[in-house]
Amino acid sequence: MSLLEFARGPAIHASLIILVAGIFLRLLGVLVLTRGADLSRPRDAFGNFKGYRTVFSRAWPSSEFTTTTIYQTVMAYVFHISTLLVVVAIVPHIEFITSLTGLSWPGLPNFIGVALGTIALASLIALILRRLSNPAVYNSTLGDYVTWIIVALPLLTGLMAFAHVGLRYETMLALHILSAALLFAYMPFSKLMHAFWFIFSRAQSGLAYAHKGVRI
Amino acid sequence: MSATTATPSVFPSFAEVYQGLAAQIGMLREMAPQPTKSEDRRLKGAIDKLIEETNADEAVWLESCIHCGQCTNACHYFQSMQDAKYAPMRKMDLYRRVYQREISPLRWWYKLISKPVKLKDFEEARELIYDSCTECGRCTMVCPMGIDTASLVHHMRTAMVEAELVPPELAALRMEQLHHGTVFGSSPEALRKMIDTIREKTGVDIPLDKESAEIMVLSSAVDLVANGNGLLATARIMNHIGADWTICSDGFESANFGLLSGDMSLWAKQVEPIVAAAERIKAKTMVIAECGHAYPALRWNPMLRSGDLPFEMMYMSEFLGKQAKAGKLHLTPLDARVTFHDPCKTGRRGGAFDEPRAVLNAMNADVVEMPNNKEYNWCCGGGAGIFLLEDATKLRDESFKIKIREVNETGAEAVVVSCASCRLNFESGRQKNHWDKRVESLVELTAAHLDDAKGADASARGAAR
Repeated sequence: MSLLEFARGPAIHASLIILVAGIFLRLLGVLVLTRGADLSRPRDAFGNFKGYRTVFSRAWPSSEFTTTTIYQTVMAYVFHISTLLVVVAIVPHIEFITSLTGLSWPGLPNFIGVALGTIALASLIALILRRLSNPAVYNSTLGDYVTWIIVALPLLTGLMAFAHVGLRYETMLALHILSAALLFAYMPFSKLMHAFWFIFSRAQSGLAYAHKGVRI
Repeated sequence: MSATTATPSVFPSFAEVYQGLAAQIGMLREMAPQPTKSEDRRLKGAIDKLIEETNADEAVWLESCIHCGQCTNACHYFQSMQDAKYAPMRKMDLYRRVYQREISPLRWWYKLISKPVKLKDFEEARELIYDSCTECGRCTMVCPMGIDTASLVHHMRTAMVEAELVPPELAALRMEQLHHGTVFGSSPEALRKMIDTIREKTGVDIPLDKESAEIMVLSSAVDLVANGNGLLATARIMNHIGADWTICSDGFESANFGLLSGDMSLWAKQVEPIVAAAERIKAKTMVIAECGHAYPALRWNPMLRSGDLPFEMMYMSEFLGKQAKAGKLHLTPLDARVTFHDPCKTGRRGGAFDEPRAVLNAMNADVVEMPNNKEYNWCCGGGAGIFLLEDATKLRDESFKIKIREVNETGAEAVVVSCASCRLNFESGRQKNHWDKRVESLVELTAAHLDDAKGADASARGAAR
C-alpha cells in the first residue's frame, strides 16, 4: 500500500470515525448533565425566550468593544468563510465527498479555490501573529499553538500539492490527506469543538440574562 | 443639591462615613478565622463542591473557551493593570482543570495529560476569584461564546469556602453573620437606636415592627452603623408618598455575606427570616436597600421560588422609579448635569436600568450617559465584597481611573449611584484622586428633592388641620 493509498483509505476513514464518535461522545457527555434550576421569578413571564437571540446577536461584537476586537473579528470571519468554501466548494473535495456520500454539486473554478486557500492561510497567520505579539491578552497555552498548527497544515499542504511545489505530487497529496485526517481526529479533543459549543453557550447566557430582563 | 443639606447636623457626611468605615474594615483582618480542617479535607471539600455545583450550564461554559482573548480588554482589572493574570479567562482555569479531570466525558484523557489539583492551586487562585473579579459580567458582553465567567467565579467562591480560603475581611464578616446574625454589629438594637435617633433629631417617624404593612423596607449595615442619612432619606420618601410601610427588626439586613463569600447555606439562612417577616406582616412589596448584592441575594436568589411568594421584591431604585412613573413622587428640579452609574448587580446582572433614570428625569435633571453605559457599563471596581479587601486596594484604585475617565467624558457635575459598595468605592476614589465630582446616592438625592408642599404627608397634615 502506497502512502497515498493509506491516506485515502484507512487513515481518512479512521479519522472520520473518530471525528463523528468523538463529537457525539463529548457533546452528549456534557448535555446529559442535569440543568441547574433558577427558581427566582423572571422579570417578564415570557421574557426568557428572548435570550435565544444571543445565539445570533453575538455574531458581531457590540460597538463598545470595536477598538479591541475589530482586527480579530474581521480576520476570524475571513478565515472561517474562506476555509469553509475551500472545504466544500473545490472540485477535488467535492469528489471526495461524493465518494463517501454520493452527493455532488458544482465546484468553484480552480483559481478561486487557490485564492481562497491563500486567503485562509494568510488570515490564519495574521491571527497567530496577533496572538504572539499580545501575550498578555491571550494567555496562550500549548493547546492553542498545537491547534493552530493542526489547522494550518491541511491549508499549507493543499496549496503546495495544487501548486506542485515541495515533494512530488503524490506525496504532497498524501500528506495533505493525512493532515486533514489529523485535523478530523484531533477536533473532538480540542477547542475546535467550539463549532458546536457556541450555540449552547450563547443560548445559556442569553437565557440567564433574559431571565433578569437584560439583553446581552 | 447635596443630599445631606436637608439635615446637616444630625449625621456625618458620606465623606466622613467612608473614613469611619475604612477604619472598621482595617480591624476585620485581625478578626478573621484561621483554617480548622486538614489540608487534605480542605482540598477534597473544594473539589467535591465544584463537582456538586457543576451542571450542564457550567460544563458548556468551561468547554467553550477558545482563548480568543476578547474578554481580556473588557475587564477593568486587566485594563488598569495590563497584567496577563487578570484576564477573565484565566479565572476559570482551575475550575476547568477540576472539571476536565473529574466530570468531563474525556476525563480519562485529561487525567493522563494534566496534573492533579493541589490546595496550593486554590491558594494561588484566591486573588483571581476574590480580589480581581467583582462578578460584574462585562466580559460576557464581548465573549464570542457568551461565556458567563461571573457565575463560574461565583462557583469558585463556593469552593474557596470549603478550602477555607475566603479572604480575611469577608471571612470575618461571614463568621459574624453566621454566628450573630449581624454585620458590623448592626443588631436589632442598633436599628432601634438609629430609629430613635432619627425621630429625636429630625422628627421623622420610622414605623418599626408594625403588625401588618403593605411595604416592608430593608436596611443595611452601612446605614445602621455609619450612614444614618440613608435610612432617614428612605423614611422621608416613604412618608412623602404616604406609604403603609414598616421595617421588621427580625428581618431587615440586606447585606448577605453568604453570597459575597460563596457560602450558599449562609446565603439561604440569611434570606429565611426576611421572607418570613414579609409573609407575617402580609407585605405586598419588599424594598431592598441600596446595597447592590442584596438584589441578587433576594430578588434573583436562584434557591428561592419567588414566583410563589405573596409579595414582590424590588430594589430601592426600582421602587423609586415606579413611584416616579406613577406620579407619586413630587420632586423639586435638580438644576445640574448628572450621570448615572449602573451597579453591576442591579444593572447588567439585574436589569434595573430604566427606573433609576426615571427618578432623575422626574427631577428634570440633565442626565448624560457615560460612553459605556447600562449593559456595557464599566464596573467601579468595588463590588462583590472587593471594597472590603485590603489586598485588592491597588486593583481597586487603578481600575477606578477608568470610571473617572468615563464620568469626566459626560461633563457631569455629579455621578449618581444606587449601591452602598459603589458609593463607598466612588467616595474612596474621589478622595484619593482629589476628583472634582460629587457622588450622590439616588435615595438621598431623591429625599433632598422632595417637594414637601405636594407630598401625601403634607396633604395628611392639611386634612388634620
